[in-house]
Amino acid sequence: MKLNKDKLADFLAAIPGKTIFGPQLCGETLKFTAITKAGDLCLTANNTNVPPKSVVFPQTETMLRFEQWATDIKTAEPAGEIVLFGIKPCDARAMLIVDNVFSWGVEDPYYLTRRTNSTLVGLACLDPCVNCFCTSMGGGPTSTDGLDLLLTDLGNSYLLEVLTGKGEVLCQAAGKLLCEASGADKDAAKLLQEKAAVQIRRQIDPSGVQARLPALWESPVWEKISASCLGCGICTYLCPTCHCFDMQDETEGVESRRCRTWDSCMFSEYTLHASGHNPRPTRRERTRNRINHKFSYFVDKFKVIACVGCGRCINHCPVNIDILDILSKVGEDVL
Amino acid sequence: MPDFDKLRALAKETISRDDIKYLIGWRQGTYGYRTSPHFVRIPEDADQLIFSPLCSSNLATYLALAEKRPVPRGSQPDTRKVAILVKGCDSRAVVQQLVEQGIKREAVYVIGCPCEGVVDLRKLEEKYPHTLDRVGARWENGNVSLDLPSGNAVFPREEIVAGKCLTCRYPNPVIADVTLGENVEVSGSTAFEDINRFEVKSAQERWTFWRDKFNSCIRCYACRNVCPMCYCAECILDKQNPAWIQRSVNISENTAFQLARAFHLAGRCIECGECERVCPVEIPLSYLNRKLVKEVTEQFAFTPGVDPEAKPLLVGYRPNDKGDFIL
Repeated sequence: MKLNKDKLADFLAAIPGKTIFGPQLCGETLKFTAITKAGDLCLTANNTNVPPKSVVFPQTETMLRFEQWATDIKTAEPAGEIVLFGIKPCDARAMLIVDNVFSWGVEDPYYLTRRTNSTLVGLACLDPCVNCFCTSMGGGPTSTDGLDLLLTDLGNSYLLEVLTGKGEVLCQAAGKLLCEASGADKDAAKLLQEKAAVQIRRQIDPSGVQARLPALWESPVWEKISASCLGCGICTYLCPTCHCFDMQDETEGVESRRCRTWDSCMFSEYTLHASGHNPRPTRRERTRNRINHKFSYFVDKFKVIACVGCGRCINHCPVNIDILDILSKVGEDVL
Repeated sequence: MPDFDKLRALAKETISRDDIKYLIGWRQGTYGYRTSPHFVRIPEDADQLIFSPLCSSNLATYLALAEKRPVPRGSQPDTRKVAILVKGCDSRAVVQQLVEQGIKREAVYVIGCPCEGVVDLRKLEEKYPHTLDRVGARWENGNVSLDLPSGNAVFPREEIVAGKCLTCRYPNPVIADVTLGENVEVSGSTAFEDINRFEVKSAQERWTFWRDKFNSCIRCYACRNVCPMCYCAECILDKQNPAWIQRSVNISENTAFQLARAFHLAGRCIECGECERVCPVEIPLSYLNRKLVKEVTEQFAFTPGVDPEAKPLLVGYRPNDKGDFIL
């Protein structure tokens, strides 16, 4: 199937009863927000600054509301149907990875309802950034993991690849807007996709990392890596697989709300005990935890690395802490 | 600009001294235009040191950031000095920390690096997209010269350096135990044209501007953490009880956070521009900071971070202060 770009607005308008989120420029920041018209979509840019996890796992989410002197509790409205339009394959894979956490032991209704109600329309990543390394993490610029529909930009049109029933629903709704793709279109798409994969220059073999990490617990490598770390939340907040949150009751006047907000293991407050003791007292322990969590603990528990190689933590770190550099140090370090 | 050999030789000599714990400088980053803070603990580490127009990090932040681990029973605390490379603006942070008694003079060994301005990576990336190949850079006759993969490119300084460098009045370190290279010409103006232009806008226009900016804030606190003057052991932002700033990320709390940060830097901000550089959502924080710098200059004729003997602005009282803001 194929969609001419001049029919994109009609394609989006034909999607029945779903809120459409797509990459939009908000000020200087590219992030996924609800779109009102196709013209607002920014589909040519690289990875969004803020990953689309912000849609299914909002940075701030009110779980329930209550009032002083009242006994009734108002729970959050269930989330409606959404479409994530133009999501990159790495960010879609990240959602599959995070699903593990929110359905582990206790099913998280807030996150899982949104996930069940979401349709992911991917856009093949034909011009990866310099720090993309998705191919090393089990993905690729045209990976279909987690996607319902994959679009490949052919210049004047998009080639559509239907991957699931949800994707099929969107195509059926679009009806006559779509036309049959020719063999030449498919060949052109294949060529572009192959070109993109070659463009990814940063590579690492993560297979030995999990096995090596436990023995490196007391290695001086962590002190070295973390010496320049500022302890800010950029790497974790912009990571599509980081999923830690805090819950707080917030009060304004007599009205209170229970909120869930993103939290970061790079903050000192994150592990601070009520007693004042902090089991991760310095940036050394926090950096070590971030790497161990992604490449060891998560793999133990869910058999998948909690990193998709989107490169955001490398691109945005103010002091050039580079996760690939860390992984290669972990590989080199003499046990 | 000193050559790297001189810099590395001085660093080796410094780190070999008995009274130096470690030295903080810059090294080439892992890719492209990036540089990274570099901690020299043994003489061999000094071989990676560089100083170039790409060395934007203000290393004075690390003086306060280093955690004090408990000293094992029976051993003495390490009281050796930390050696630090500073540009002009960075040196003002050292002075201001001394003034506020955040650090002690005998705890730091300052190596001054006169600076002709650091590259604003956002400006550079607009001209040349980021590259994986490492790029070197130099100052050359008032220009910035870059060794790009496509060949050498020379930019007039004004075109490529950070905004803070265009208004910089202290390109030469204001404090140094030793200086590398020759002092450079001071070209920054004391006027606040950028702020004046902004101030004439209507309140509604200014609020619309800031509302949009604060709305994009993700509260990663990189601006706070990178700030050499934000070294409070307990920050208002981290307080749980009472939670002065709630954890919810919304326009109200974001505004409260940003304004609290700006006000806490009144009379203290040394205009190194690090907060603006590191912001992942590109909030133009220098507008806020420079507005307060302007107020402090006009109301109190005070410039923080230039005189190690000065009193902090807000703990001093001078009868000749204008005071015309008092109702």
